[in-house]
Amino acid sequence: MTTTASVNTGDGRRTGAPVVSFENVSKNYGTVRAVADLSLDLYPGETVALLGPNGAGKSSTLDLLLGLRNPDAGRVEVFGTTPQEAILQGRVGAMLQSGGLMEEVKVRELVKLACDLHPKAFPVEQVLEAADLTGIADRLVNKLSGGQEQRVRFAMATAGANDLIVLDEPTTGMDVSARQAFWGVMREQTRQGRTVLFATHYLEEADAIADRVIVLRGGKLLADGSAAEIKAKAGARRIVFDLDQPVGEGALRELPFLASLEMSGRTVRIQSHDADATVHALYGLGLYPRNLEVAGLGLEQAFLAINDAATAEEAAR
Amino acid sequence: MKTLVKLEITRTLRNKKFVFFSVLYPAVLYLLIAGGASNAELVEGTKLTLPLLMMVSMASFGAITAVLVGNSEKIAKEREKGWVRQLRLTALPGRGYVAAKVASASVVSLPAILAVFAIAAVVKGVRLDAAWQWPALVGSIWAGSIVFAALGVAIGYLASGDAVRPVTFIIYFALSILGGLWMPTTTFPDWLQSIAKWTPTHAYAALGQAIEVGDAPHLKDVGLLVAYLALFAGCAAWLYRKDTRKG
Repeated sequence: MTTTASVNTGDGRRTGAPVVSFENVSKNYGTVRAVADLSLDLYPGETVALLGPNGAGKSSTLDLLLGLRNPDAGRVEVFGTTPQEAILQGRVGAMLQSGGLMEEVKVRELVKLACDLHPKAFPVEQVLEAADLTGIADRLVNKLSGGQEQRVRFAMATAGANDLIVLDEPTTGMDVSARQAFWGVMREQTRQGRTVLFATHYLEEADAIADRVIVLRGGKLLADGSAAEIKAKAGARRIVFDLDQPVGEGALRELPFLASLEMSGRTVRIQSHDADATVHALYGLGLYPRNLEVAGLGLEQAFLAINDAATAEEAAR
Repeated sequence: MKTLVKLEITRTLRNKKFVFFSVLYPAVLYLLIAGGASNAELVEGTKLTLPLLMMVSMASFGAITAVLVGNSEKIAKEREKGWVRQLRLTALPGRGYVAAKVASASVVSLPAILAVFAIAAVVKGVRLDAAWQWPALVGSIWAGSIVFAALGVAIGYLASGDAVRPVTFIIYFALSILGGLWMPTTTFPDWLQSIAKWTPTHAYAALGQAIEVGDAPHLKDVGLLVAYLALFAGCAAWLYRKDTRKG
C-alpha cells in the first residue's frame, strides 16, 4: 500500500523481542472485513496510540490482541506466546469499553478480586489509590457514574505489574481533570518500562502522549510512525490570514500547491503542499494578508488528510 | 479463585429476593402438596408415604431451582454486560468462572434442602428408619444438584437476553414434571413413564428414594447422572469456546 509509512524511529527503543506481533492477521464477521492482512510489531517501552474512524477495526484489533477472538488467518503473538497464555502469566492488563463489571459488589471487593487473580498483584489499597477510588471504595459497583465505572475498569487493568497495558478509549466519560489525572498515572507506568497501547477518539491525547501512532482504516494499516511523522506524511502545512479587502474565492483558488481552502468572513484557511510558494503567490496577487500564520497540521488535521487521501485513492480505483 | 467464589456467594446472599424464593419456595410448595396427605398410606407402587416421597422430591426441586435458574440467568446477563469478557482478561482460567458459579449456587441449594427436611420432620412428622439416612439424603441431593448447575451454565451460554428465562423454565418444568419431582411418576401413562425413567431429574430423585427405603443409590441412577453431568459440562465447555469465536 503506497500510503503506509514505514518508520524506524532509530532512537534505540525498538530493541529486543517484540511485545506484540501481528503477522498477516485477518478477521471477518460474516461478510464484513474487520481486520485485513494486518502486520505490526510493538516493542518494549513504547506508548502507542491506535487511531482510526469508527469501524476502522480498532476494537477488533484489540480483541485479537487479547485473545477474546481468534483470527481467521494469520498469527497473533504476545510475549512470544498466545494472548491467552500471556494473560494467564499476568503480563497483560486491559481495559475495554465493552468490559462489564460484576454487580451487587462493592468497589473494594471487585478490586480485591482483580488483585487476588493477578499473579504479580499490587496491594489493594495502592491500586484503589492510584485509580482515585479510595473515596468510593465502599460503594456498590452498579451505583457508579460512567466516569467512576471507567476508573474501576482502570483499577482492574492495573491490579498487578503487567508488562503490557491495553486501553480501549480509556478516558471516555471522564471530565478534563480526571482525564489529566489518568494520563498522569499512565505516564508513571511507561516510565517503569511498560508498553502501553491505547485506542482513542481524542487525537490531542495521541499527540500529547503517544510516541508512536498507528492509523487503521478499513481494518488495514494506513500509517505508522511518530505523531510528527504522521503530520509530515500528511504533507501539508496550514496557512491562516485575514484579508484587508474583499477578494473573490475564485482568485484564491488559483493559488499554487493548494490542498484545501476555506473562507469565513475575511478569514482564510488554507492547507498547502508548499506553504512558501503559496504565500509568495499570495503577495503576487497584490494581496496584503494580515495576521499571517503558517504552521504544521495538528495530528487531527493530518489524520483527516491521510484518511481523505485514502478515500480519494479508493474512489479513483 | 477463592476470592471469586467468596464474592459470588456474597452477592448471591445480597440478592434477598433470590434467596427467599430459592430457600423458602420449595418448603412452601412441599406443604401445599403434602400438607393434606397422611403418613399411614403408601404411594401406589412404592413402599413410601407421600410426605416422605415428596420431602425428597421437593428438596431436589429446590436444589435444582437454586442452581439451574440462578446460574443460567446470571451467566446470560453477565455475558451480555461484558463481565465475562472482563474476567477473561484476568489470569482466571475459563473453568474457574464456571466452578465459582457452581460453588456459589450450591451455597443456596443447601439451605433449600435443609428447609424442606426441617418442615417435613417438624410439621409432617416424617421419620426415617435409621439416623444415617438423613445426612445421606442431604449429601446425595446436594451432590446431585451439580448436574443441574452444569446444565444452568450451558443454558446461560446458549440463550441470551430475553430468551434465557423462558428457555430455562421450559427445560426446568419439563424435567421436573417428567422426573416426578412434582407428583409421583406412577400416576403417568405407561409410555410417559418409560420416557421419564431416562430423565436426569428422575435419576436424581431416585437417588434419594433409594436411601429413603434404606438402600444404597442404584448404580444405574448414579451412572445416568454422571453421563448427564458429562453431557451438560461438555455442552457448557463447547458453548463457552464458541462464544469466543462468535462475531
